[in-house]
Amino acid sequence: MLHQRMAALACGLALGTPVAAIAQDGPLTVAMHYTQEQAAPLLACLDAYEADGVTAEYQQISYRDYLQTVLTGRLGGQSPDIYNVYSIWAAQMVDNGVLDAPPVAVSKLVSETYSAGTVDAVTIDGTVWGVPTEVSAYMLVSNMALLREAGYDAPPATWEELREIARTVTARNEQGRIETAGFAFADSSSGAGFVHPFYALLYSEGARPYSDDFSEANLDGPEAEAALERMAELVGDGITDLSVDAYDFPAGGIGMMIMANWLESEIRAGFGDSFEEDVVVSPIPAGADWRTLQYAFFMGVDSNSDRKEAAWDLVRHLNAPREDGPSCMGEMLSGLGALTANTADNAAMGEPDAFTAPYLAALEEGRAVSQPNVMQAAEIEGMMAQTFERVLAGDAEAGPALESLDGEVEDILFEFY
Amino acid sequence: MRPRTPRVVDGPAVGGWAPWLFLAPLLVFAFVFFLLPLGFSVWLSFTRWNPLGAPSWVGLRQFEYLLTRDDTFWRTVVNTFVFAFGFVAIGVPLALLLAFAFSRARGKAIWRQIYYLPQLTNIVAIAYLWQFVLDDRDGLINRALGAIGLRGPDWLTDPTMAMVSVVLVMIWYDAGKNMLIFSAALDGVDRAIYDAATLDGAGAWRTLRSVTLPIIRPAFTFVTITSFITGMGFFSLILAMTGGGPRGATEVTALYTYRMAFEDLRMGRASAGALILFAIIGALSLLQFRALRERSR
Repeated sequence: MLHQRMAALACGLALGTPVAAIAQDGPLTVAMHYTQEQAAPLLACLDAYEADGVTAEYQQISYRDYLQTVLTGRLGGQSPDIYNVYSIWAAQMVDNGVLDAPPVAVSKLVSETYSAGTVDAVTIDGTVWGVPTEVSAYMLVSNMALLREAGYDAPPATWEELREIARTVTARNEQGRIETAGFAFADSSSGAGFVHPFYALLYSEGARPYSDDFSEANLDGPEAEAALERMAELVGDGITDLSVDAYDFPAGGIGMMIMANWLESEIRAGFGDSFEEDVVVSPIPAGADWRTLQYAFFMGVDSNSDRKEAAWDLVRHLNAPREDGPSCMGEMLSGLGALTANTADNAAMGEPDAFTAPYLAALEEGRAVSQPNVMQAAEIEGMMAQTFERVLAGDAEAGPALESLDGEVEDILFEFY
Repeated sequence: MRPRTPRVVDGPAVGGWAPWLFLAPLLVFAFVFFLLPLGFSVWLSFTRWNPLGAPSWVGLRQFEYLLTRDDTFWRTVVNTFVFAFGFVAIGVPLALLLAFAFSRARGKAIWRQIYYLPQLTNIVAIAYLWQFVLDDRDGLINRALGAIGLRGPDWLTDPTMAMVSVVLVMIWYDAGKNMLIFSAALDGVDRAIYDAATLDGAGAWRTLRSVTLPIIRPAFTFVTITSFITGMGFFSLILAMTGGGPRGATEVTALYTYRMAFEDLRMGRASAGALILFAIIGALSLLQFRALRERSR
């Protein structure tokens, strides 16, 4: 059987026939970055799926290699039918015709079932390109054991309070190194540890990083400077530095951080029995009009799939609530401690835990603004991260650094908009 | 009877198509895996291509951008030279020193194996291991220094120290390989020459300078040039250990082009960057080879 398939593949390639056509009778492929173990509830749904003779199978692609695997898969004519796309990749995928525009019924389902900020995350040029799956938002996470020890019973309500509490929590060793940090930024290879909190603070200042049509960057304005200076003064105050990593929060040596909900399971593992008592999630203390950032993954269909209609049916099936509970996707995300912005799923899953509730509230109240779906988002955010790091390290002033960054980003935008 | 003389013919004519048949696998391999990708890369450097779509011809614009407008590219070129020169300047003499030391040591085979071990280890594992050792706050070295009241350097968060760190780890990783080459060269020196030098009254230093080093010069040339080429194009250790940071201080050109290609999806510009790096390495290796050959005459 395997030999027959290999032979068919070889003949197909030789004759220039798309492989998708050969695999017309095979199962639909759903490619996601979750491990088989993480995706177990979804796998059960895929195993049980059978609609008009069409079945489905799961393909795991690691998150770091996802986009490259998609690229090489398409070059070789072996792309999956259904993707789980990180929203910042979407603009490029849409621009290059990789994604199929969903049928009206799917777009309607998304607009009616998901919160507005999340719908924005999957919308490009006014078109919804898929069904949102995992959503992440940023909030202030505090280690109340450290805060209480420093004499504070509640997380900060204002930015000045945050600085004051963090200063009190911070402790250094005899060599002057930070042993307990009042605050920490995350050290992530993509630069998200600096860029995502910056977006949250920028949104809270009432600004957006780009003009509506993405032809201009707004990174040289007073709001961006204020947001970056807020971050820089935390380092200037001596309450954190670049050797402190927010991903070490579960170890207990960090007072506060602006972090996404997906770290919950690690924090829970680190804090053990004291998790409920010692870890508190609260709004980012950036004023009454505080906002935060959200980003989303979404299920989209490959435009090369020869069974697009069947693929969209499967996407709908996986994301529609079931009679006895949440959707297959909702069940899987709930098991991972991840968020969904699917209001029907959230209703079916009942009350969230104390850690998750503030994140969900931010999504539902419209506080969580989506990460911009701009072309070359990863490249631009890498440049932003390097600039922010320079400012935080004291190598550059926020104003001039942002002015220079704005010019570099506009050079990229000029290529596409 | 006239003695028969063997018929002399040109070599290739004897075999006809046979040599080509035997060479065919090698030639096909070289064409498919060397010439074709190189040609494709050269062609790509004149295009703008995001692999999701079709390439578009832009002529020399990618080269123009990198050479005249991209400050980051030049910064990475400088970082590449610092990394490669640091690696060669410290790594090659150290490997030679180790080879000398172990050539007269007891159990030299075991010592050589121990120093070669890093070469058998996955480079990502090595990067994580050294991150654990060099971490500014919790690393083994700084914790040990802290225990005796000293503040250790910011190995991975200070731009200068981060470059020093990656160079030192690279030397540690590669020293065993170069040491083996030097060891083989040293073992090949005829003992009688040393005996003759001793009889002529040459001391240890004189013997090293006038006998050993000139004899092992081919190995020295080989190690220097290959180490330089390795240093100029190596980036996996840096990618895993510092990610090019802090603040781009360890971002070398090979890493920059890798990111350009696979993270920013700018295949054309990345190919142009890789070709510029290739040209720099080729030119400098040629100069280096000639200089070392001149000196050996």
